[in-house]
Amino acid sequence: MHEIHVGKDLREHNREIARENREKLKGRGIVALNLMSAPGAGKTSLLVSTIPHLKDKYNLGVIEGDLQTSRDAERIKELGIDVYQIQTGGVCHLDASMVHSAMHELDLAAIDLLFIENVGNLVCPAEFDLGEDGRVMLLSITEGDDKPKKYPLMFAESRLLILNKIDLLNHVDFDISRAKREALDINPRLEILELSCRTGDGIDEWISWIDRFYSESGGA
Amino acid sequence: MHEVSLMENLLAVVEKAAEREGSDHVDVIHLRLGEMSGVNIDSLKFAFEVLSKGTVAEKGRLEFEQVPLVIVCNECNYESSPESLIFRCAKCGSASMELISGREMEIDYILVDEDDPGKG
Repeated sequence: MHEIHVGKDLREHNREIARENREKLKGRGIVALNLMSAPGAGKTSLLVSTIPHLKDKYNLGVIEGDLQTSRDAERIKELGIDVYQIQTGGVCHLDASMVHSAMHELDLAAIDLLFIENVGNLVCPAEFDLGEDGRVMLLSITEGDDKPKKYPLMFAESRLLILNKIDLLNHVDFDISRAKREALDINPRLEILELSCRTGDGIDEWISWIDRFYSESGGA
Repeated sequence: MHEVSLMENLLAVVEKAAEREGSDHVDVIHLRLGEMSGVNIDSLKFAFEVLSKGTVAEKGRLEFEQVPLVIVCNECNYESSPESLIFRCAKCGSASMELISGREMEIDYILVDEDDPGKG
């Protein structure tokens, strides 16, 4: 028997491409956010609510990720934003190589701030670096206050947690303190905002967070 | 976890490594998996059975070495092995912790047949 040392990480393939994406974005002064949540938590609605507040400050770009349809991209397109829809077919998460290809379809020279809306899924997206500057996750208050400890990786990897649909708090048994406490147990550095896309509650704080994150991330 | 795509990556790396050495038969693939890597070993073994056919690893087997979950406290430098994903210093209670080991997913080494005619 002859031993051959390998010393290679199994995830190296995605990491290499994520590094390339990161370098390409940094080189152009683009700040990128990876938006993650369960299906229906409100990622696209959040973008639709947010874009009018950001359009005049930033040149925006969006990459959408879904198994099928370009419904989400169409909603963004209606707002006049450069958007590309990735349709994964059956893959449950975006990976770096999908984003690499999508980046070719956008006019990067004209973009300052890029939102990557991941496939709706509380599990797999957390495992794949896309080359983003930070991860923002949404948990809508209709999903249950016990979710952080059930899906720890996504909470652990996020910079910001947005508790969405707060206009519905009276209709569900969601203990906001419990959800926050457990999320912070998993990730003490997690920032948390409460928001409603429908009423606009909390949108200003979200915009301020974006402004701060953008300048901290060296946005040009 | 995505054991099938991990296995595709694994076999691509192993084939390259074996080819470089001029070997066409891999006996053992030694993997280091962290306690918190989230990899399901049974799924990985199954993916190996299916995907290794027709590759240099076809008649080989996977070997697993588990790497323990170890964290260190940023405040008092105490190292500990937590029982759960809630990282707290067992000594001073700080929540400011760094991961030292436990999330590895690595191909450490492979064993190839010494008697291979080799491709030179």
